[in-house]
Amino acid sequence: MNALQEIITDFQQMSRDEKLDTLMDYSENLPDLPERYHEARDKGQNRLHECQTPVHLWIEIHNEKIQMFVDVPRESPTVRGFVALLMEAFHDKDPQEALNCPNTLLNSLGLVQVLGMTRLNGLSWLVKRLKQEVTKACVEN
Amino acid sequence: MSEYTHPEVLVSADWLAEHIDDPNIRIVESNEDILLYNTGHIRNAVKIDWQNDLQDDLMRDYISKEKFENLMDKKGIGSDTTVVFYGDKSNWWACYAFWAFTMYGHKNCKLLNGGRQKWISDGREMTKDIVEFPAQSYTVSEVNEEEIRAFRDHVLNHIEQKKPLIDVRSPGEFTGELLHMPDYPQEGSLRGGHIPGAKSVPWSQAANEDGTFKGRQALVELYKEGAGIDINDDVVVYCRIGERSSHTWFVLRYLLGYKNVRNYDGSWTEWGNLVRVPIERP
Repeated sequence: MNALQEIITDFQQMSRDEKLDTLMDYSENLPDLPERYHEARDKGQNRLHECQTPVHLWIEIHNEKIQMFVDVPRESPTVRGFVALLMEAFHDKDPQEALNCPNTLLNSLGLVQVLGMTRLNGLSWLVKRLKQEVTKACVEN
Repeated sequence: MSEYTHPEVLVSADWLAEHIDDPNIRIVESNEDILLYNTGHIRNAVKIDWQNDLQDDLMRDYISKEKFENLMDKKGIGSDTTVVFYGDKSNWWACYAFWAFTMYGHKNCKLLNGGRQKWISDGREMTKDIVEFPAQSYTVSEVNEEEIRAFRDHVLNHIEQKKPLIDVRSPGEFTGELLHMPDYPQEGSLRGGHIPGAKSVPWSQAANEDGTFKGRQALVELYKEGAGIDINDDVVVYCRIGERSSHTWFVLRYLLGYKNVRNYDGSWTEWGNLVRVPIERP
């Protein structure tokens, strides 16, 4: 079972409140964006415009593994939590694992009911954009 | 704040800090982000989520009277409790919750001027401690829907009678160039534009940078002199799902004393998808 499958299996066994608590834990453990990206972030580079929250994402491929570097403001803990979950699933993993991620991941995690429809669009876009960025990084590599 | 028509509904951070332990007061935080409260909140505040707590998950509507009573019991709010709302995004969701509570007939509602943003930037105390309050036995005595909520048929009548409508969305959404807020995801409206005859007064024009409301004179210039809307007019306000227009509803009703203001919570996510309703583009 890969890391994403493990996360999905765990989420499927959680109650609504446990899911929110887990997202909160993820949110608190999102690694800080390395300093070398701060200038680019402050200039607005690599911002994912589909998401209301200012999310900046860099994907690199090192030794055929994904390296994810992300910045999400602390005022958006739900987005931070979801991004940290994606990091746990895909950071330092084979690019194919990210490319295989279902676009309907939020449904698989059972987060649709927990977060409500109007909050989901931005998060759904994150999955799609992550896959696009991984593809781009693989091509450039 | 005394310059407003109903200054008693707007409280300052100093006032709240003095009343933070008052058992007759319950502080309610409502945010766009469902987890923001959990990252830290005003001491003794409880969380009410606009979507999970106040909206029915089956039908597009608010929860039933009975479910609202249960929610109040759970949050330790009695029928006579004074509820002080605050939240993120210049109090959009706090105004939305204030509006919903008013719809369920809750009498004593107040709003923290400047909301979460100002409380934090003033360096005031925040905590992660979640407090449980003794359960209450809440009774909704009258639902106030007719007075403050508009449905699409009301809006259609409103257009026919050429009564004033205020579109509080961003200019790009009003002209139809954008189907959603700048930087926000598209939420599935099939047409862009605005309700015929609506005046564009973006909600943000009523707020200062720090999230507090503008002074009375600036608000009069905005709505009366700018948009030509009189204090006795029958006014309908709308946005995308009714949250930003709750902010304008609050300004008109409480700060300026407009007598008859209703929020069309169906807003553009309903109107922009309805078959054969008229839409205007400049």
